[in-house]
Amino acid sequence: MKVVIAGAGSVGRYMAQQLCGAGHTVTLIDNDPGVASRSQSLKGTDGTPVTFLLGDACEVDVLTIAGVAEADVVAAVTGDDEDNLVISLLSKQEFAVPRVVGRVNNPNNEWMFTEMWGVDVSVSTPHLLTAMVEEAVTIGSFVRLLSLEGGKARLAEVTLAAESPALGKEIAGIGLPRESTVVALLRDGHVVVPRGDTVLRQGDEVLVLVTGDSEDDVRRLLVG
Amino acid sequence: MALRFRRQETVPEIEAPEPSGTPIAAVRPREQVTVVGKVTRMRAKPSSGLPALSITITDASGTVNVVWTGRRSIGGIALGRKVVISGVPRLNGDRVEFLNPVYTLLEA
Repeated sequence: MKVVIAGAGSVGRYMAQQLCGAGHTVTLIDNDPGVASRSQSLKGTDGTPVTFLLGDACEVDVLTIAGVAEADVVAAVTGDDEDNLVISLLSKQEFAVPRVVGRVNNPNNEWMFTEMWGVDVSVSTPHLLTAMVEEAVTIGSFVRLLSLEGGKARLAEVTLAAESPALGKEIAGIGLPRESTVVALLRDGHVVVPRGDTVLRQGDEVLVLVTGDSEDDVRRLLVG
Repeated sequence: MALRFRRQETVPEIEAPEPSGTPIAAVRPREQVTVVGKVTRMRAKPSSGLPALSITITDASGTVNVVWTGRRSIGGIALGRKVVISGVPRLNGDRVEFLNPVYTLLEA
């Protein structure tokens, strides 16, 4: 795949090395001559050089030179949310890039990282950290892990507590709404592929994919 | 001295050349293109809760979707209006679609 990464900070450079090492063609853009000196000799984990372009990724001309017109993915990962939104919108609107990934720096800006601004996938480090902490400290509550398709579908996790109404029941028998499905169970350190007749136990970590308005029902059935 | 208005010579009306574009059926995703067609369908939709105007443009060869985000209407864009659309279309599902393209209104 051809990948263009805007922003050569520690995030952008790490991504460039990993993706280049995985065999993808990577172009890295940044307008700071300071990071340019560190990025010019950047190599992928397999030794293939990363193409570096010094320029402002918020300008269409720079994106054209970077080859965004042929790119499969654009990742806007600068430390500036405004820049990331402009890069995402230009990539989608001017170059019709199939997949645009946007980095959210300030969680207050997360609501803007949608298809309205050309973003297909938004990644918010503060949000992820919060979800991970919640997951580590809470049993018996509903933790959202990941948002897909601009929030239309969500992956959530519930660790079943002693008072969960679903304990001892088969998955097919707990009456989950049609808009949701159990995608995996983590039990005693193993991943269990859920089937209709799998019986839920206390301590099971249940991963549920929910869409639409089914979240409240799922929460009621699994948490109580 | 009295100013006299001279009768204006009738200037033959210059017909605007009919703008030509690529037939809609020949539009390919991710290629800069200009198409000319009539608005045959309009829909103001909340796209993830945010406003968007979605229209369908039709010429003799086929139809294509056009979406403008951030607004629910555009002055002059109405059913039956002939428009010129210029941009790089994308593939949305199995439909080719323009996102926020440049547009020109022609005579209805």
